[in-house]
Amino acid sequence: MILNHYFKYFLLLFISLFLFYFEALANDNLDNKVKSLTLELRCMTCQNQSIYDSDAEFSNDIKKIVKKKFEEGKSEYEIKQFLVERYGEYILFKPLFNFKNLFLWAFPFILLAIGLFFLIFLNRKNKVS
Amino acid sequence: MKKSILLIPLIILLAICIFTLIYLISGKDPNKPPSALLNKDIPKFITKSLYDSNITLSSDNIKRNVILDTENVERKYTLINFFASWCTPCKIEHPLFFKLSKEYDNLFILGINHKDSYSDATKYLNEEGNPYNFVGVDSDGLIALEFGVFGLPETFLINKKGKIIFKFMGPLTKEIINNDIKPLL
Amino acid sequence: MSSLVGFLCLVFAVGINIFLIFSKYLLKLKIVSFNILIRLSCILTLASFLSLIYAYLVSDFSNFNVFQNSHSDKPLIYKISGTWGNHEGSMLLWVSILSIYAFFFSFTKKIDLNLKKLTLLIQSFLHISFSLFIIFTSNPFLINSVIVHEGLGLNPILQDPGLAIHPPILYAGYVGYSIVFSLAVASLMHESNDLEWLSIAKKWSLISWTFLTGGIALGSYWAYYELGWGGWWFWDPVENISLMPWITGLALVHSLLLVKGQQILKKWIIFLSILCFSLSIFGTFLVRSGILTSVHSFAADASRGLFILLIFFIITGFSLVVFLLKFPDNNKPVKFLFINKVSALIINNILMIIATLTILLGTIYPIIIEVLTNNRISVGGPYFNSTVIPIMIPGFLLMSIAPVLSWQTNKIKNSYYYIICFILISVIILIQSYLTEFNSWGVIGLILGVWIIIASISAIILSYKLKLNFKFLQNINPHLAHIGVGIAIIGITCSSVFQKEYDYNLNTGDNFIVNEINVVLDKIETKNEKNFQALRANFLIQEENSFKNVKSGKNYYPVSKMITSEAGILHQWDRDIYFILGDQKDEKWFVKVYVNPFVSLIWLGIIIMICCGFIGVIRK
Repeated sequence: MILNHYFKYFLLLFISLFLFYFEALANDNLDNKVKSLTLELRCMTCQNQSIYDSDAEFSNDIKKIVKKKFEEGKSEYEIKQFLVERYGEYILFKPLFNFKNLFLWAFPFILLAIGLFFLIFLNRKNKVS
Repeated sequence: MKKSILLIPLIILLAICIFTLIYLISGKDPNKPPSALLNKDIPKFITKSLYDSNITLSSDNIKRNVILDTENVERKYTLINFFASWCTPCKIEHPLFFKLSKEYDNLFILGINHKDSYSDATKYLNEEGNPYNFVGVDSDGLIALEFGVFGLPETFLINKKGKIIFKFMGPLTKEIINNDIKPLL
Repeated sequence: MSSLVGFLCLVFAVGINIFLIFSKYLLKLKIVSFNILIRLSCILTLASFLSLIYAYLVSDFSNFNVFQNSHSDKPLIYKISGTWGNHEGSMLLWVSILSIYAFFFSFTKKIDLNLKKLTLLIQSFLHISFSLFIIFTSNPFLINSVIVHEGLGLNPILQDPGLAIHPPILYAGYVGYSIVFSLAVASLMHESNDLEWLSIAKKWSLISWTFLTGGIALGSYWAYYELGWGGWWFWDPVENISLMPWITGLALVHSLLLVKGQQILKKWIIFLSILCFSLSIFGTFLVRSGILTSVHSFAADASRGLFILLIFFIITGFSLVVFLLKFPDNNKPVKFLFINKVSALIINNILMIIATLTILLGTIYPIIIEVLTNNRISVGGPYFNSTVIPIMIPGFLLMSIAPVLSWQTNKIKNSYYYIICFILISVIILIQSYLTEFNSWGVIGLILGVWIIIASISAIILSYKLKLNFKFLQNINPHLAHIGVGIAIIGITCSSVFQKEYDYNLNTGDNFIVNEINVVLDKIETKNEKNFQALRANFLIQEENSFKNVKSGKNYYPVSKMITSEAGILHQWDRDIYFILGDQKDEKWFVKVYVNPFVSLIWLGIIIMICCGFIGVIRK
C-alpha cells in the first residue's frame, strides 16, 4: 500500500523531470532559438511588427542572417550586438540592460517598493489609532 | 511634508510636457530612426563594378582616398547612395546627383545598386543617366546590411577620415542638400 | 452649404460655452437657464457633426475633408464611418460626445446646484478647448479650392464593419471620464464635504469604463482578423494608450466601491479621476501629434501636436494645482486590516496604478531617450510582458477572493473550503499540463483563470439564495464580472501560450493536415468588387464527413493603391484556425496557418464584463 503510494510520487517526479528535460531540449533547437530571438526584433520597414511575425523582405533577410549566425555558433548576445551596431538599438523590442535603460527596468520595482512602504505605513497608522 | 508629495504629479506632468515639447519642436520623424553608424567608421565592404566585374572597390579605398579612375584629383568626401531600378523614389532624387558632382570636384559619388539585375540596372542608368563615379553591385543586399540600410533610397556622406558624418533615409531634396550636405563639404 | 452650416453651428456652440463661463462672474444665471444653454450647445455641436455626416453621405466633394477621405463608390456604411475615419472628423466626434455627456449630466438631480454648475462649467471649458483646437488646426469644414468630381478614398484598412463603430464607442469611453473629472475638480473647488457626488461619479465612471472596454475589444478584434498577424494584442503604442485609462478607470470604479463599505478614500478617488481623464487626453495627444510609430497614426502635424499638448498641460496642470491647494483633509481613517475587503481593494488599486505608470513610462521612454541622447530605442511587447504581467498576477489572485472578504473583520467565511479548492485546482492543472504540454506561464494563467471562476461561483452559491429576479442579478453582478475576467484570462493564456503555427508552400489542389484536420487548398480566384479587387484562396476543411469553406486572401484598393490582408478564420468554440495567404513563389503559394486555442473565451469574457458594467450602471 504505502510502497504503492510512494511509487506514484516517484513516477510523477520522474515524469516531470523528463518533461523538463524535454522542454529544455525543445527550446535548444535551432528554429526555436531563431524564433525567440526574432520575436524580440523590430521589422524596420513595418509598423510595430516583430521580424518573426513579418513577411517583409527586410524581415526575411534578417531571419536568414540570424539563422546563419546561430549556425556559425554565435550567441544570442553577439547577434544582438551585430544588429545593434548596424541598425541601432531601435531594432530591439526588449531594451538592453544598460545604464541608459536602467531607469526603465528599475521603475516597476521602485514603484512596488514604494507601494509596499505605503501599505506598511497605512498598517502602522491604523494600529496606532 | 504631505503637501510635497502632492507636488510629485505636477513635476511628472511638467517633465512629460517638456520632453514631448522638445521632441515635437525638434521635428524628428518617428518613421526615420537616427542611424547607429553616424560618427563611426564606415563598415568594411568590397563591391564589384556594375560594368566590369574585374574592377572592385572596397572600404579601404575610400578610407585612403585612393580613387580608381585616372583623373588625378584628390577627393576628400564620399557620398554613398543606395539605389535600385525598382525603387521609384530613387528616380526623384536621381537628377540631384548630377548637380552635386558638377559643383563639387572633391566629392566622390558611389552608387550601390541594391538587389537588382544587371540588365535592369544598366537600362535604368542609360535612361536616367549615370551621375555616379562608381557603380557597385550589391545583389544579395549584404553591403546594405553592413550599412544598416532598410529602405531605399538611403544616402551616406563620408569624410576624409572615413567616418560617416551624415545619413539620410528617403529621397534627397534640394533643401536637404543645401541645408545639410553642402555645409559639411 | 452643409460645410458652412456645420462650421457656424460649431462656432455658435463655442460661443454659448464662452458665454456660460463669463456668466459665472458677470450675471447670476439660474440653474434652469444654465441647463438649457448647455443642452442648446450640445444640440448645436451635434448639428455640426450631422452636417459633416451629411456631406459625406451625399459625397459633397466641395468639402476638402470629404474630398480627401471619401469616394462616391464606397458603400453607404463606410461613407458614414468615413466621417470619423480621419483626424478632423474624429475630433469633431470627440467634441460631440463630450457635449452629449454634458447634455445627459445636466439632467442629474440629487446634487448640490452649485456643484452641478461648477461641473458643467468645467465641461464647457473642455468643450471650448477642443472646439478651438478643431477650428484652428483641424477644421473639417474647409472648402475645396478646386472643383472635383471624385474623392481620394478612405484608407482601405478602415473599411471594415468592426472599425466603423470602434471610434464612437472608444471615444464614449475616453470622453466619459471627463464628467468624472469635472465632478472631482468641481467638488474640490466647491469645498463641500457632502459625498453625494461620489455615487454620481460611480455611475459615470462605470459607463465610461464599459464603453472603453467595448472600444478596446473591438479594436483588438479588428487587429485579430484584419492585420493578419495571428494575434490580437501587440503592445502597440496606441493600444497602450487605451489601456492606461482603462486600468486607471478600473481602479476608480473599484475605489468608488469603497463608498459602499463606509470607507472613503476621497483624495485617492479625486486623484484617480484626474489621472483617468488626463491619460485620455495624453493618449489623444500622442496619437494625433504623430510622435509615435504605430499601426494607427493620423497624418502628423506639429502644430496640432503643440495645441493638444497645450490643452493637456492646462487641463491636467490646473486640476493638479487645485488638488494641491484644496487638498481635502480629515477623512475618516481607513480600516486597514491584514486581509479584508478594504485592504484587498487598496492593494489592487496600488498594483493597477503601478501597471499604468509602467505602461506610461514604457510608452514615452523612447521619446525621453531620443531627446537626451539622440539614440532611438524601442520598448515593445517583451518589455511589457515581463513587467506588467507579473505585476498584475498578485492582483488577479486577490481579485479572485476579494468578493468573499468581509468589510470589517479579518475572517473569511468558509476559508477551509476555498483553500482546499485552490489546492485541488492547482494540482489538477499541473498534472494536466505535465501530461500534455508544459509551460510555466500557461500553468499560472490557467490556475488563475479557473480559480477565479470557481471562487466566484462558490461565493455566489454560498452567499446568496438563488432567485430569478433582477435584484439577484444585481447582487451577484460583481461576481459575474469576475467570472468574465477569469474566462478571459483562460482565453488569453491558451491563445498566446499554446498558439501553434505552420508554414506551407502549396499548389492549388494540395492538401495538408493541421491539428489532425485535413485541409485542401481548393482554388485561388480573383474577383472585382465595388471598390476593390479581391484575391481569395478557398480552403476546404474536412470535418467528419462535412466540408467547411474558409476564404483568405488580399484586397487591392485601386483608389488608394493599397493592399490589405484578409485573414480567413474558422471559428470553433475551442479554437480558431487562422489562415493567411502569402505571396506566390515558383508557382507555389505560401500559406501560414495559426491554431489559436480558446480565443472565443476572450471575447466571451469581455462580453460578460461589458454586460456586468451595464447592469452595474442600472443598479441603484
